[in-house]
Amino acid sequence: MSLLAPFNKLPTLNTASILLVESEEKFQQSLAVALVEEMTVTVNVRLARTLPLPLENDESRPRIDLVVFIINLTSDLSFRSAKASLKYLDPGYFLGKVCFMATNARHASVHTGLLDAVRQLAVSLHCPLLFAEDQTPEDVKSSARRLLTILKVASGLVPNTSALFLSNLTRCTMPLDIDQPSFD
Amino acid sequence: MGSVLLSSDWLIRPRPERRFVLKFSVASASAKPNKSRSLVDVLGLNLPSGNMDDPAKFLLRRLVRRIPAQMLKATLEKWGRLNAEQRESLNFSQSKWALTQELEALCEESRLTVKHIAELEMIYITENPNQMMWHAFQLLDPEDGALAVELMQFKELFKCHLRELVRNVSVKIKKHTDEAVWIRMSWGEGFSRLSHLNATYVVHYLQTPYVFVSGLSPKNKPLLLQVLTLSTKHERIKDANLSGRKLTAIRDLLLRQYEHVFPTKYPSPLTERNQSVSNLHTEKEQAEASAKRHQMAGQAFGNGVLPALQSAVYKLETKFKDPTNQTMTEQDEPFRCVVKFSSTNLLESLRHCASSGIASTPVAPLLSSIPLKGRNYFVITDKSPSANS
Repeated sequence: MSLLAPFNKLPTLNTASILLVESEEKFQQSLAVALVEEMTVTVNVRLARTLPLPLENDESRPRIDLVVFIINLTSDLSFRSAKASLKYLDPGYFLGKVCFMATNARHASVHTGLLDAVRQLAVSLHCPLLFAEDQTPEDVKSSARRLLTILKVASGLVPNTSALFLSNLTRCTMPLDIDQPSFD
Repeated sequence: MGSVLLSSDWLIRPRPERRFVLKFSVASASAKPNKSRSLVDVLGLNLPSGNMDDPAKFLLRRLVRRIPAQMLKATLEKWGRLNAEQRESLNFSQSKWALTQELEALCEESRLTVKHIAELEMIYITENPNQMMWHAFQLLDPEDGALAVELMQFKELFKCHLRELVRNVSVKIKKHTDEAVWIRMSWGEGFSRLSHLNATYVVHYLQTPYVFVSGLSPKNKPLLLQVLTLSTKHERIKDANLSGRKLTAIRDLLLRQYEHVFPTKYPSPLTERNQSVSNLHTEKEQAEASAKRHQMAGQAFGNGVLPALQSAVYKLETKFKDPTNQTMTEQDEPFRCVVKFSSTNLLESLRHCASSGIASTPVAPLLSSIPLKGRNYFVITDKSPSANS
């Protein structure tokens, strides 16, 4: 089993690398275009459908600083595929270098059980859960901006902070009322 | 004869002479078009009156209701039975009901019969075949002269064989611009009058073994199939198990008129396909796997725009198989179940499922046999795992 490891390669100067994992392969394309537009830092974006990543690309791949799992809340399949990909990440990533992004939360056909399950997953792994929209270019740009903030910290480009420090502030927590027993 | 006696007589006896009579004037129904509705039309009565008879009026009314307002003007022009000044006099912006009245009056002026109205219906259906339910049939075992049958010969043979089998039927054959032969048939029961209301339409492309039929009743089905077999010089005809609303779609599927992808060992380089991710800093990790899926999905279904098939039905007669459910698995009889896929464009959605990885590739034979065998009705039994009729 080839695990993706966070620190087995050397970093490059003023560069940040991000891996977007999405089973539908749609939102990741527009996010990639928005992320690359950042001027102050060179951003390398890698797109994948699931993990594990193919071994052939191992040498050319830079050190991945942040892994983002994009889950479409209207599709159960994307959640299951993201969950199955988690096994192929080295545990070192879960100290602030993994992020979950949920799309289509405002859609009418979202199953409430799915939203709770995604939340539960993010809580158990101590990772941040972002909600994003992918319909208009402005939405995509704002999602990219939020990802960039976390990415810059995770790649060590912000002085006096590290990914672990930031994750204590941004990690997902379960609201108290969900833990309480239901009324019916 | 005192007045007292008379009055008592009136009180006891009922009045047999007074009956309620609904009086309407028959003559007014055929008069010049008037803006107010006559009682006849409100009650929907069809009275024999005027030059145009009931079936013609009924057919005309139904036709005007069916044809959408934008197309009515063009269809009437194509029909050519009303001259230019009559067409100018029609006001297309009024309600359909008023338009029908004007049209009826014009048709009566020109002394048009139900046959002419049937022509109009045929013109409309020929231009817009995607509204009726079509069923495809395949001709088998061609005789020697089958490929040489051309339009005039087909027409003669068809009419001749039809006359031999059925007396009371009216046929109209027309050749459309795209090499298709359209046949409209109105059947009559025994010796009664022909009913032009539920006409059967047949479309045949000469020199191909496919026939598309719509509106055929089960009673007339064996007759029509026999006539078609004889007039195209084949020996057998069978149901192609393909049906749908859009004639263009099922025709393209059967005649394979869409872009095919042929299996190749060395597919074209990836850079030609993935134009969206062309930035130097962005890279797809699993590009090879994705390209392979695209290739296999294309091989199974085709490239570009696919015929807009709208449903596929699988009728399962296999035994129930589930290791966790013992009671159901013990049953000896097959578990009957019908699975129906429907979509605005079924083949495109199946292709997208395969290329995005939702359906596993190589594409399952049950799905790929829809375009391969050109059918959308399958019966699956236990003995042979592949589809059979």
